[in-house]
Amino acid sequence: MASISFRSSFAAHSEGSEALVILISLYLDKPPAGAQGEQNDRPGELLMKTILVVDDDEAIRTLLQEELSDEGYRVIIAGNARDALKKVEEEALDLVILDIRMPGMDGLEALPRILGLKEDLPVILNSAYTQYRESFMSWAADAYVVKSSDLTELKAKVKDLIAK
Amino acid sequence: MDGLKELTTIIMAGGKGERLFPLTRDKAKPAITFGSLYRVIDFTLSNCLNCGIRRIYVLTQYGSFSLDQHLRAAWDIMHPDLGEFIYSMPPQQIMVSRWYRGTADSIYQNLNLLQRERPQQVLILSGDHVYKMNYLEMLDFHLSRDADMTVAAVMVPRREGSSFGILKVNAAAEVENFLEKPARPPGLPGAPGFSLASMGVYIFRARTLVEEVIKDAKKKSSKHDFGGDIIPQLVGRKKVFAYNFRDAGGQPRYWRDIGLLDAYYSAHADLLGKEPTFDLFEAAWPIRCRPQLYPPSRYLSPGACLAVGDSLVAAGCTIEGTVNQAVLSPGVRVGRGATIQGAILWDGVEIGAGATVNRAIIEDGVKVPPGFAIGVDLKQDARRFHVTENGIVVVPNNVILEE
Repeated sequence: MASISFRSSFAAHSEGSEALVILISLYLDKPPAGAQGEQNDRPGELLMKTILVVDDDEAIRTLLQEELSDEGYRVIIAGNARDALKKVEEEALDLVILDIRMPGMDGLEALPRILGLKEDLPVILNSAYTQYRESFMSWAADAYVVKSSDLTELKAKVKDLIAK
Repeated sequence: MDGLKELTTIIMAGGKGERLFPLTRDKAKPAITFGSLYRVIDFTLSNCLNCGIRRIYVLTQYGSFSLDQHLRAAWDIMHPDLGEFIYSMPPQQIMVSRWYRGTADSIYQNLNLLQRERPQQVLILSGDHVYKMNYLEMLDFHLSRDADMTVAAVMVPRREGSSFGILKVNAAAEVENFLEKPARPPGLPGAPGFSLASMGVYIFRARTLVEEVIKDAKKKSSKHDFGGDIIPQLVGRKKVFAYNFRDAGGQPRYWRDIGLLDAYYSAHADLLGKEPTFDLFEAAWPIRCRPQLYPPSRYLSPGACLAVGDSLVAAGCTIEGTVNQAVLSPGVRVGRGATIQGAILWDGVEIGAGATVNRAIIEDGVKVPPGFAIGVDLKQDARRFHVTENGIVVVPNNVILEE
């Protein structure tokens, strides 16, 4: 027999917005993947698009997580490619932001493996280096954004690809 | 020769060849014996060698051991220190953990190889065709049109077009569409009685190839095939040309896909006669095969003459019977009073005294008992063997024939 639980949450998170989102979710047996865990305290998450940020640099992970959360995305992080592949398999993702130079498996190796798991998942390569732009291996990504303290371009690409 | 330096050549040899069953039950289609001495892939590899292409990747998958063995035994002739190679490449499972899903996917899975080579152009060939072709002439055509993709194609009578992948082209040979086995094949501008059949031989601008196989790999609905998926995707967006494979007189040149048992059989008939449709004796375009040490063939009929006509007989055979319109591989024995008519006998087949073999393909090592008949009573044959639509009996070597 399925157990039924009710949950409601209230959110008014986007800056200056008066929007009130009321979510009443009906769960049968188990909540769906992605509705549990560390991000569960974030309000309105069921309507949010989920982005996986893969970078070996903790400062960049934190920066992107904060900035993209402020944009209204649910952000999960991975510090290396293997962890990223695991999350691609387990989570319902809408986009991946992938660093290239990482110890162990690099981003160009991880990219086809990510696509092997979820062939239509959009991926943005985000590297401090421009030279990988010409590598055939990078062409499988939907965008290539060179790292910068100004996140305008990255945010625009994220918005573009998620809207598609 | 600059074009050659910037060219990467890839032979697709991974197909399962189901329509050639039972010949392909334990080996890859390109590794099948053809024309007495050859394996099917020898024709494509010889074409490469004859036009100076000496850096070749062979993508294998199904039954790859048979092909590896053959490449090793017959084609271990390149000099790695000169940058030459023939590499056999089963799915590497480096980029993704799966088998090749189709011809286009096999290229996608080897993008790292193209990244290593960074060619300007990529020549894509198939390992299961019988033909003689100078790929450099096609490359010239491709470069002169500044094409993104050039598809080699051969003219076939329009009414036969329904069994091929047909290219619809305009008067400038630009491809407008690809039609897989169309019910009503379009005619060719200037030769309306003919249609252009794709030969499965392609030259791509490398950048275009990479972009397109990536795009294709992300498409769930795709079968990941060059003909059915990549060409239609490219047409109208990029410059796709058809290279008409014909002689100076405008006649279609010889090209056969031996994907069907009946096609395999009839391609053998093309090898026979004084002026064969497909000439294995052309000195200017030799076909290389595995070198084998055999004694000369011998014909035994003390005090009389044997009737052996219109056939190809390899070395090492012993013939004491009648042989007509047959193709014999090395080491075949035809016993006293046996009659062979229109048959293809692979290596080491033994036909017992007084046996009859008509219109059959017999795999290597099969021993046909004395007095046995194959291809005489097709109904009876069909109970034991595979008999094709055209009535060709196929005898595999996993059966024991009883007297």
